[in-house]
Amino acid sequence: MLKTRFISRLITIFSITIGCYQPLLAAKVELESSNWGKVEGKACISCHQKASPGINHQWKNSAHSQANVNCLDCHQANEDDADAFMHEGEIIATIVSPLDCGRCHETEFKQQSGSKHSRARESMKNLMPNVGQYFGDHADPEMFCSNCHGSEVVVKGDGTLDSAGWPNNGIGRVNPDGSIGSCSSCHGRHQFSKAQARQPSACTHCHNGLDSPDKEIYANSKHGQLYTGLQSQMNLDSDQWVVGQDYFAAPTCVTCHMGATSGMQSNHDVGIRDSWTLNRPLSYKQSLVILESGEKIELNAEKHDPRKGETINMSDGRSGLVKAVASPEKRRKAMTNVCLECHSKNFASSALKRFDSLVELYNDKYGYPAQQIMYELYQDKVLTSNPFDEEIEFTYWELWHKQGTYFRHAAAMGDHNGVWGKGANELATQFYGKFITQVNKLVGKKRGEELLAEYLFESDYHQWLKNKETITPELGVEKGKSDALF
Amino acid sequence: MLSFKFLPSFITRHVLIALIIGTVSGAVFILFLIEFDHFTSTEEFCTTCHSMELVAEPYRKSSHYLPASGVRASCGDCHVSEGVLMATWDHFMGTKDLIKQLFGPDYDDPVIHNLHLPDAAFAARKWFLDRDSATCKRCHVKDAIVGDRPATRLIHQQDAKDKSCIECHINLVHRKVPDQRTFKRDKWHAMIEKEFNLNVGEANKLLNQ
Repeated sequence: MLKTRFISRLITIFSITIGCYQPLLAAKVELESSNWGKVEGKACISCHQKASPGINHQWKNSAHSQANVNCLDCHQANEDDADAFMHEGEIIATIVSPLDCGRCHETEFKQQSGSKHSRARESMKNLMPNVGQYFGDHADPEMFCSNCHGSEVVVKGDGTLDSAGWPNNGIGRVNPDGSIGSCSSCHGRHQFSKAQARQPSACTHCHNGLDSPDKEIYANSKHGQLYTGLQSQMNLDSDQWVVGQDYFAAPTCVTCHMGATSGMQSNHDVGIRDSWTLNRPLSYKQSLVILESGEKIELNAEKHDPRKGETINMSDGRSGLVKAVASPEKRRKAMTNVCLECHSKNFASSALKRFDSLVELYNDKYGYPAQQIMYELYQDKVLTSNPFDEEIEFTYWELWHKQGTYFRHAAAMGDHNGVWGKGANELATQFYGKFITQVNKLVGKKRGEELLAEYLFESDYHQWLKNKETITPELGVEKGKSDALF
Repeated sequence: MLSFKFLPSFITRHVLIALIIGTVSGAVFILFLIEFDHFTSTEEFCTTCHSMELVAEPYRKSSHYLPASGVRASCGDCHVSEGVLMATWDHFMGTKDLIKQLFGPDYDDPVIHNLHLPDAAFAARKWFLDRDSATCKRCHVKDAIVGDRPATRLIHQQDAKDKSCIECHINLVHRKVPDQRTFKRDKWHAMIEKEFNLNVGEANKLLNQ
């Protein structure tokens, strides 16, 4: 018995090791080509090259077309499918869901399932229930969030898709077939160009602006600078696209977050190499837990330490058996693996160490004190239980979600000027200039001093507030003249 | 007295009178049928049944009621065949609808109406297909279809050459109903229940009453 277990473990370890060092193409479709090229599907083109020539040209330029994958191979549906309809004698569906793509692209489908991307809609609803309603449209919050996070596509009783949820390419889309996600969020249909999906614009289509300002940050980073300057050397059309082998001019989003390296396969679970969460009021290191059921859960690694074989409780009340855990350390190792294709170990670890220390600085200096003070204000009933009806609530929201997010993302991607300008500078302005001033105004001098003493003055970061330093030229008073003022 | 000697001997005066009466009354009857078919094909006649008012509502918003050309298709233009014999036959067959209206479920009730609508749509589509969309072709000539985009003409001339209008063009006038092969009655019922604030499962009961 023990021996069998030992051998089975040995085999597992061996296959994982081999798996990690398998060669390095994006996963190839392993199905027999007899699985596609449906004869009936060939008839679609005759009409559609006239009716929708744009789509037809895109498809004609695609690898799908070259491999004889036709319209029906992707769009065919079963008559039982919720969104199936009759079209020219064939039962088809408009939406080609990840489940449909996964009929051939099995590996990518498995990786995408349960990934952070696929949870984009669910986590938005859980973590930010008020934002869409209050800042968007109360009646139809979907309009503002679901474009990126994904809609719930509803098939009406008459078989048509409800316009509230369709068209939509949001990455956490709930599809009529029950699958979650949208491949065309990144892979523009119907060309599905490798080159298009490898460029930053595949991601920055959503990752820009307030919530995740990665477009600006990447563009201003050294990586982005090189990409813009050397785009023609990126070998974007190459079949295999391993950094350091097939291209080396610059990394794109894909390179670091999902791309293949000489020792690591590409992965369509795009958040898998992220050891920190950077989009919450406080950042924490996260463990990715993969359950036997195939479901994936992100856990705060400081609070949970799940092990393989353990049963854990999920937020919806169910429990699951842990199959594997990607700890923050493992995830960092994977990310470092990418860095090492271009950088030395020391260079990479120093850059990542600096990133870590900036995230910790955000947490300790701004995130934690502000969160605690907000809690005290609610407890003291200084603030009502209504969300977003007081100035300081907006100030706090912006502090972590706008300036805090910019600061942390800029730190992650090496946008040095962003770490300062839109990051640290605006964070401090928001925190000291607005948040603390508003706290004092709300609770009065005495309670204000108590709160500052408890949450600010314990740490070194805020001691300067106590120091009566001389007014300096930054504030318009020339050197030597400040003494006369006080 | 007129002489009928040039006529064969078996045509007596009585026969002749009978023939004349028969011819005249036959002609009057045909004229009556033509007028009858014409009148019973109008929107005005059809909507004397309240249930038909319910299908007329979406029709009045459709391009068959309000086409840019101003050529309006009335109920019978699409749903009654060309020619007095076929038109009369269609009306004769249509009396079963009248019997159902009088003795069947309460089609005037919008809920009952909508629950039966899919079956009515399926039957109507079959009717069109069986006749090779003959009533569409009263006005629409495939060779003359131009459309706003060049593709429209090409598709009709090439790809749809051997197709019948109804094979592609459904849900043009009345409330949208999916094709029978992908129709899901439970989903349809859920939609109607939501639309009319009914309890879950009530649609099924009402349909089978």
